[in-house]
Amino acid sequence: MPGGPVNDFLDQVETCVPALRRYARALTRNADLADDLVQDCLERAIARRGLFRPTGSVRAWLFTILLNIYRNSRRAAGRRGETVNLDSVAEPASPAPQPGHIALAELARAIDALPIEQKEVVLLIALEGLPYAEAATILSIPLGTLMSRLGRARSALRLATGVTAEPHLRTVK
Amino acid sequence: MSAVTHDDLMAYADGQLDPGRVGAVEAHLAANPDAASEIALMRRQSDALHALFDPVAAEPVPARLRARRIAAAQRQRRGRSWSWAVAALVLLSLGVGGGWFARPLFEAPAASAVLIADAINAHTVFVAENRHAVEVGRDDSAHLASWLSNRLDTTLGLPDLSAQGFALVGGRLLPGEPQLGGRAAQLMYEDAAGARITIYVTAALPDRQPAAQLASLDGAEAFYWANARITCTVVGTLPAERMQAVSQAVYGQLTDGDVSAPRYRS
Repeated sequence: MPGGPVNDFLDQVETCVPALRRYARALTRNADLADDLVQDCLERAIARRGLFRPTGSVRAWLFTILLNIYRNSRRAAGRRGETVNLDSVAEPASPAPQPGHIALAELARAIDALPIEQKEVVLLIALEGLPYAEAATILSIPLGTLMSRLGRARSALRLATGVTAEPHLRTVK
Repeated sequence: MSAVTHDDLMAYADGQLDPGRVGAVEAHLAANPDAASEIALMRRQSDALHALFDPVAAEPVPARLRARRIAAAQRQRRGRSWSWAVAALVLLSLGVGGGWFARPLFEAPAASAVLIADAINAHTVFVAENRHAVEVGRDDSAHLASWLSNRLDTTLGLPDLSAQGFALVGGRLLPGEPQLGGRAAQLMYEDAAGARITIYVTAALPDRQPAAQLASLDGAEAFYWANARITCTVVGTLPAERMQAVSQAVYGQLTDGDVSAPRYRS
């Protein structure tokens, strides 16, 4: 009796929740907004699970829903001015960055400053570790577009964090 | 062999390069220190992202983000009318008078849906455990009863289900809904074949009104009731008639025929 397709679906959803929360937090940098986003995503996915096609992965489907809700909420927020709570990410208590190391607080600010379509991509790949093809499906973009956004995001982060490929040439702002 | 592109370098850094290209890229890296440090930088970026945000994924998942609970709440909204009817029938079969249970049939008992979902979640998590199924085992049942009673601020007896073929495994204290007392006790019983049921008990709801409800979720059956002293949810995956016999025994022993008993121990 336990088991069966419904149970499998909910198990797969449960498995994805920690990653969805991490991704939502990285996107929004606000713990409450992020969990609201994940809750909306889960409620929609579970209510519409009859629409899910088992040919794709539950994970890709959940990320797609989450991103759609996020974009819609940003459009709504954009009209009344968005607030970003920077306190929600703790400043790491690290000493001054060593050459070749990346200062986490600088990186966090640099991610916030990325254009949204680059941020979505770089977090799906570098943080969530999704295969390129799966990320392209989630974002409904061709693979080539995904790769160029990923490349642009990475060089923007590199410039913004002041870290060059050669540690001894590290620029100081 | 085609030239190594920047996309190849990214794919190599991300561990997503086509295996057929790895040789070409590694040869390119050996000859181009700049490309090699570019790869190292991309990997440091990924590591730094993980350092920033992995702690979020390691946090305990808040109750409101549990898939089973969301599914239960949605089911509850859809299935309210028929589940109330079934609960009413069960209460009649338990020999409970018709006067007091009429009330919950006409009010939306939102708290019960939450408690039932929590009970089923706790059941699913802990029946699968072998060594750590319970916090306090049956050998220490006197302590278990007094400990859980103190924590729930009520008197909690340990039902004897031997007539139904079930022996106590033990119990544990669990965090509960903050607005509903904040604590719950789970008792676990096992039959000779290893089938397990759990009983999820909390202090009475603020309204202290009697209520009863049946729910079925992902193969688990739950029988919930509330009185002025406690709420209790029996969860199991037994066939219907055994579930009913066990629920009836638990209900009889924990209610003790006194649904209006004081909430607090004297």
